[in-house]
Amino acid sequence: MKNGDQATPPQLPPRIGANRESTMANLRAENLSKRYRQGEREVVALEGFTFSFPQGSTAVVGPSGSGKTTLLNLLAGFDLPTEGGVYLGELALHQLSEDQRAEVRLRNMGFVFQQWNLIPTLTAWENVAFPLLLAGLPPKTRRERALALLEAVGLLERAHHLPSRLSGGEQQRVALARALALDPPILFADEPTGNLDASSREQVASLLFEAGQARTLILVTHDLELASQADRILHLRGGRLVRVATPAPG
Amino acid sequence: MEVLALVLRNLLARPVRSLLTLLGVLIATTSMVLFLSFGEGLRRSLAQELSRVGPAIQIVPEGMEGLGFSGYPEITPKEYGLAQEAGRELGVRAIIPTLFLARGGFDPQTSFFFQGLPEGVAPDLLYPGVRVQAGSLLPSERGAIVGAKVAKRSQLSLGGPLRLSPRVELRVEGILEESGGLADNLIFVPLKPLQEVLGTENYTALLVALNPGQKAEEVARALEASLPGLKAQTTGDVMRFAERALRISDLVRFGISLVALVVGGLLVANTVMMSVYERIREFGVMRALGARRGFIFRLVVLEALLLALLGGALGLALGSAVSYAINLYTLDQVGLALSAVTPRLSLFALLVALGLGLSAGLLPAYHASRIPVVEALGRV
Ligand SMILES: Nc1ncnc2c1ncn2[C@@H]1O[C@H](COP(=O)(O)OP(=O)(O)O)[C@@H](O)[C@H]1O
Ligand SMILES: [Mg+2]
Repeated sequence: MKNGDQATPPQLPPRIGANRESTMANLRAENLSKRYRQGEREVVALEGFTFSFPQGSTAVVGPSGSGKTTLLNLLAGFDLPTEGGVYLGELALHQLSEDQRAEVRLRNMGFVFQQWNLIPTLTAWENVAFPLLLAGLPPKTRRERALALLEAVGLLERAHHLPSRLSGGEQQRVALARALALDPPILFADEPTGNLDASSREQVASLLFEAGQARTLILVTHDLELASQADRILHLRGGRLVRVATPAPG
Repeated sequence: MEVLALVLRNLLARPVRSLLTLLGVLIATTSMVLFLSFGEGLRRSLAQELSRVGPAIQIVPEGMEGLGFSGYPEITPKEYGLAQEAGRELGVRAIIPTLFLARGGFDPQTSFFFQGLPEGVAPDLLYPGVRVQAGSLLPSERGAIVGAKVAKRSQLSLGGPLRLSPRVELRVEGILEESGGLADNLIFVPLKPLQEVLGTENYTALLVALNPGQKAEEVARALEASLPGLKAQTTGDVMRFAERALRISDLVRFGISLVALVVGGLLVANTVMMSVYERIREFGVMRALGARRGFIFRLVVLEALLLALLGGALGLALGSAVSYAINLYTLDQVGLALSAVTPRLSLFALLVALGLGLSAGLLPAYHASRIPVVEALGRV
């Protein structure tokens, strides 16, 4: 294999690690609140959430309905807060337009969802290359980069398979490779192992944490064992941040 | 994996549905192309025929303009006399009275079209360039000169009998060479026997031949002024009148094909809308990854456009093929190409297909691009 450009060194394992020198991504939430109106009633999904996400992995845990997905939606700019704000460095994400937020996501964020991550009509490598298409990279670069990423998650021989022919664990690994396509400083994962069996879970989790080391990884889960592998754990309850814990190393 | 390839991939993922939709658009376009091709064919034939007609001006009764040579002869000998006088004053070359008679049914196989000529006038005065392949060019008092196609079709040969009515029988005295024009389908006979058959002394039309340098428009207006109740129409007048009539019939035929087009458009809209609903989660993922709303919009509009344009192009091709087949038949039967898929008709068909795709795609595309990301991600 030839030497690639600076952003995509060709060796195997570090390739899914971040290659950026600086971690410019300082993602902060200030007094974030989200309320939904349901007829007469108002549902408080998130209330007064303030936190600055450092480099490394941060797990967000809490019982069902505690506001984990709501938090992720706001941090990623999928949705706008009722109150408060999300800042990426100097950038006030919540003040940007829909398309501007999309652009910020494309350049700065990667995503792995619980399931149905992949575009069903595209093969594995085409899925990985999709963000590169959005970013306007030339076809050759897209293909090379996508194949290199698939190789890094151990799926090179599955490159030309459609998602329907991949197992759940394989699909999640393709999704991870795609999340890393543009080498983003921030990585989001919402229950990435929620639908997997034990052995695939191990594999996906270890790849995910490896990718998260030099990035800001925000991992939403109710799997406490998975969360315990993170650098810190945020506990949500009833839409409020109730505890920030640092798991014992090891 | 460009955007177009993405669209294509999606259409190919549901091959049967895409194919059925394509078929709908294809049928709609084919029928439209065929319907409109008849108007174009008539225009083309008319222009060709008129350019072959010698006399620059035809005098017909008022109200008969542009109807060609059908109808009962209404120009009286007195009016003919007046026209000759006026013609002399204006210095025209000749005024030739003529009469038309159709015999037989609707089937061109058994129909005969007779054109009466005054004594001493041969068909080549009216249809310059026609030549005889056998016999004479000028019919005698009881003779007939037969167009090439009629002769072949009805197996008329030199010296054979030709019955105008139970009492009037003529003899074939000449057979024309095939010219590709109207004359191929006519039988030229003297005026007298035709008038005898119709029981009249009248004429269908007076044909005016001009001298070099005379302006058809000016002579026509001057003739009209001195002939009350008659219209003097130039070839241009006939074309203009025919064009107006053709345009109306174009509208009617387009109106009929509009039904098929609307159905085709609804098919495309339905297919694209279904495909949008099935892919809401997919669009959500794309937007989560950083696709702008315009990207989703383009994706959906392109899908509709691709279906409509592909169906339209195939429909145009099929329409042209059928039109060609129709012409083979009508050329053989009446010597006219009835249908023509002209460049402007092709362009029109493709534009209609384009409009169809756009109108079928815009709404689903707008819908798809406006779904909030959170909602789209929430659907499976
Ligand atoms: N679109 C919505 N409309 C109304 N209520 C919502 C909506 N989304 C979430 N909620 C409510 O907000 C709360 C937090 O939801 P969510 O963030 O999905 O929790 P989690 O991901 O921790 O299970 C829940 O009570 C949920 O019912
Ligand atoms: Mg959730």
